[in-house]
Amino acid sequence: MIEQSLTARSWLKTLATLERRRLHLAAFLGVLAGVQTVIIVVGLAWLVEQLTVHQQSPSQLVGVLVLLALCVLGRGICQWAQETISLEASLCIRQHARRQMLDKYWSLGPVWLAYQQSGALATQAVENIEALDGFFARFYTQLRIVAMLPLLILLVVVKLDYLVAVFLLLSAPIIPLFMALVGMGAERINRDQFAAVARLSAHFLDRVRGMSTLQLFGRTASAHKDVWWATDDYRRLSMRTLRLAFLSSAVLEFFASVAIAVVAMYVGFGLLGYIEYGPAPSLTLFSGLAVLLLAPEFFQPLRTLSQHYHDRATALGAAESLVTVLNESSIQRSLLNEPDAADDIAVLKNVSVEYASRGRVLGPIDLTVKKGSVIAISGPSGSGKSTLLALLAGFLTPSQGSLQLAQPRYAWLDQQPSLLHGSLADNLRLANPDADRSAMLVALRQAGLKALLDKLPHGLDTLIGERGIGLSGGQAQRLALARIYLSDASLILLDEPTASLDTETEEVVIQALLVWAAQGRTMVMATHHPAAIKAAQRHLEMRNGHLEEMSYET
Amino acid sequence: MKHDTSSSVSMLSQARRALLPWVTLIVKRRQQFMLGALLIWLTLAAGLALLGLSGWFITACALTGIAFLLGMPARLDVYVPGGGIRFFALLRTVARYVERLYNHNTVLRLLADLRYRVFGQLMQLDEAALRRQRVSDWLGRLTADIDALDNLYLRLLMPPLVSLLIIVGVSLFMAIWLPGVALWVGGVLLLLWLGLTYGMARLSFAHSHRQVADQEGLRRLVVDQLQASAELIAYRTAAWHRNQVEAHEDAALDNQRRLGRSVAVGNSIIGVITGLLLLGMVWVGGMMVASDVIAGPILVMLLLVLLGINEVFVPLPGAFARLGGSVAAAERLNALGPDRVLNKDQSLPAHGLGLTLDHVTYRYSASVEPALDSVSFKLAAGEQALITGRSGAGKSTLAALLTGRLAPFSGDVRVGGCLPVRVPECQRSQRIALLTQQVDLFDASLEDNLRLGNPDASDDALWDVLESMALDEWVKSLPRQLQTPVGERGQQLSGGQARRVALARLLLMNPSVVILDEPFAAIDYDTAEKVANALAKWLAGRTVIFFAHHGFIGGLTQQIKHHWHLSAGELSQRK
Repeated sequence: MIEQSLTARSWLKTLATLERRRLHLAAFLGVLAGVQTVIIVVGLAWLVEQLTVHQQSPSQLVGVLVLLALCVLGRGICQWAQETISLEASLCIRQHARRQMLDKYWSLGPVWLAYQQSGALATQAVENIEALDGFFARFYTQLRIVAMLPLLILLVVVKLDYLVAVFLLLSAPIIPLFMALVGMGAERINRDQFAAVARLSAHFLDRVRGMSTLQLFGRTASAHKDVWWATDDYRRLSMRTLRLAFLSSAVLEFFASVAIAVVAMYVGFGLLGYIEYGPAPSLTLFSGLAVLLLAPEFFQPLRTLSQHYHDRATALGAAESLVTVLNESSIQRSLLNEPDAADDIAVLKNVSVEYASRGRVLGPIDLTVKKGSVIAISGPSGSGKSTLLALLAGFLTPSQGSLQLAQPRYAWLDQQPSLLHGSLADNLRLANPDADRSAMLVALRQAGLKALLDKLPHGLDTLIGERGIGLSGGQAQRLALARIYLSDASLILLDEPTASLDTETEEVVIQALLVWAAQGRTMVMATHHPAAIKAAQRHLEMRNGHLEEMSYET
Repeated sequence: MKHDTSSSVSMLSQARRALLPWVTLIVKRRQQFMLGALLIWLTLAAGLALLGLSGWFITACALTGIAFLLGMPARLDVYVPGGGIRFFALLRTVARYVERLYNHNTVLRLLADLRYRVFGQLMQLDEAALRRQRVSDWLGRLTADIDALDNLYLRLLMPPLVSLLIIVGVSLFMAIWLPGVALWVGGVLLLLWLGLTYGMARLSFAHSHRQVADQEGLRRLVVDQLQASAELIAYRTAAWHRNQVEAHEDAALDNQRRLGRSVAVGNSIIGVITGLLLLGMVWVGGMMVASDVIAGPILVMLLLVLLGINEVFVPLPGAFARLGGSVAAAERLNALGPDRVLNKDQSLPAHGLGLTLDHVTYRYSASVEPALDSVSFKLAAGEQALITGRSGAGKSTLAALLTGRLAPFSGDVRVGGCLPVRVPECQRSQRIALLTQQVDLFDASLEDNLRLGNPDASDDALWDVLESMALDEWVKSLPRQLQTPVGERGQQLSGGQARRVALARLLLMNPSVVILDEPFAAIDYDTAEKVANALAKWLAGRTVIFFAHHGFIGGLTQQIKHHWHLSAGELSQRK
């Protein structure tokens, strides 16, 4: 394996490194906003003392008021900038991660993709990448703020009253401890909960998917009630577990509340002169009020972090499934060389293909494809025809032997031509993005789609496929034929192009292809069609991964 | 922002139109909603009271302490406020815990209600609409959309209500000492509230409304890249397509960027407005203290309450910026309902049922060619017919018309003289049975799947039909026998087993009309021979249509009276 194997954590870490500057700047701004908050509450305590104890009038305190107003504005700007910058970091990271995924799909090639559900893979590249957002936009920054800000606040509190500082310092490690205790249980519960939700959604979707069957058996009404009961059962079950899960947030709430209460009582009694040890006798309204207001601020970053904790779990879950794809081994296109002779398209020497799961599926075979030749390959399904064509197309690299490919632009056609979600024109551009409309019309006419085109409401701009006009198998195959015409490729690779067509369309498509190839193009096709085999210069038969020359005209 | 007033009116009416049916659902649980809101209010109010009372207490202590030092007579009851502080500290913790539990419970109840309602809508869809939904990957969105509406409760309804109540409460509390100032504070907070709810929604409505559509568009492009990868590599057009993906992604991320920036503005405005309000209060309150209108401790109490109030507004910007997203989810769910609902007022006659089709044409909305083109035939009660045709020729459309799950575009479909679309589902399903080409098994036990055919069937009856379908030995070999789960879409079973389970399910019924689409698909030849006898016996006397690709229906051909062929929607006579 050439690529290093990734884990979810290491991948997230690498991604964060990409936007290190922005993320650190955001964390710095977050700390700066926190510092301004400290100034505001300490300033407030000072103002209060001036107003109530020293009986100053507000007009004598304008300077401090203006300073605090500036801090309020500054804090607003810092918060805004922190949020905006970490958002930007998250956007860039997601864009990068998505490109990495799409590149990976690309390098895994069509053969690997054929064994996957494209819907599930698209979910990976779209939804799962989006799921990384909270981790980078919120959690990552907050984690760094938590490491800094409480410490700064503690320093200020030490200066004001070291006993309160000692109290905060003692309670601080207790919180993570408690949260860890509750959290360990809660994490398992969370996982169970997550699984239960997934099961419940699956139950619901299963019934929706089978709606036709429910209608046929007259069971929609009972399934309807089922849906309600299943969700309600789940509610009763999950309430039992949530009682414990919610304890972790209650613990934080409890500590923040108790801190205020304890500090208030301590400061109050100290100011009354009831406490005579430690720094208590030197308490003033200013220092007392300041430590009271700083106590909740001390816990605030941790509370925010706990609110974002699920962002981390979500991102890890998504990353977990993304790295499994990233760890798949890619096709090594760099191993492909040009053939030595100029009129050779492909030269296979002693080539074989093996899969870990299925063993050897092809070879060893030797084959040279000359420029301008028309080759038909027949053989039972599963004998390796598709693998050979995939090799010629560069979708696979051989496990053993040497493969030389001249890779001109070529046309590819298999049983199910792919339709893009777009207009008829978009689907033709797939073969040649620069083609103009008149060339498209010519190609469509040549492929026998004139009649269809005349019926389409918006001509070339009509949406086709899932979101538009549905095409029959024959029409789709003719569209693929039009693509070949439009591309004017000199090499055509066909993998049983007519297997799903009716006899009439099959005949038309095969004849059209043979005529097209006869104009000096190279064609290799896997087919059972007698006319195609007859028209070919070479006919090869594939049996259990080995080639047999049936006929060869020169 | 070109059409300012019209866009704001349309945002509100669009939101109201989309959300109304769902809010009605929430309103049904009015009491739970009110109690839940009250609990959140209590949590927040306890927090403010804790802070305010502590401020009052400290200041009062300080002033009393100074008085002691100066030798002036002073008294302060420390026990009542001390108890109060402890009480509010505890109340905040307990109220938070109870609130989270209680509201979570309500949300889950609501989820059940929401799913019930959506399912009710889907139940009434016809085959064409269901088929449309099967091909789109929209099904995956369904639960996410329902969850989005579930969030409506905790994010869009509860927080604005609670924060409004807090604003009113705080203003009234201030008015005890400073009625004039309280009016100002209340006014400013109200404006902030309005800005964070309505203003935020207004600013970001279009952006959040687009978000899911953006994601779906991106998803479709990625699916295209994956499915067409062979062609894209061959034609050397990968870069061309990749540019499209990236352009779409850029637009989607840009939209997110704008949305996120609006939320950031909203979030920082909370701190700025409440902070400036606090400083204003210091100024005004300072004057009042200087002129002995209020006592120092009272001022400190009011200041600290104001200091804590920003917590009340924190959930608003994020929630309201995403209003557009909730509206879009509601719109997608609203669009699910059937276009029209026919009266189910016809009743099938008790005796055997004949079938008559008279120039029946059906065209799916998304295709150029009709699926069925002026098809006519007559099949008397108790007769059997074979209809051949390749896939896509119109067989499943014909089956959907006969089972009343599609209404013909033109022409007349009659079963026993009735229009099948007008017969109530419970009666129709008992008299007209269809074995679909694609077997639908549910993620439940084998037994449950069989009982779909007849909920009242005895265990013996289940074993009988399993025996007829040559499945009894296999089921007996399973550790859980009839209780064996079949997996999602019957994935735990082989294709042939699933097919025979579907046939067995049919055998539990007693219908007058039976339509079998490829009865022996995926069943090997020997097994087909075995089960054909039992099937033939069961079919005797019923009106039967067989659909078959190449005409292979095993040993069931003896009774066939008509042989028709379907090709591109047209029916012709064979033999």
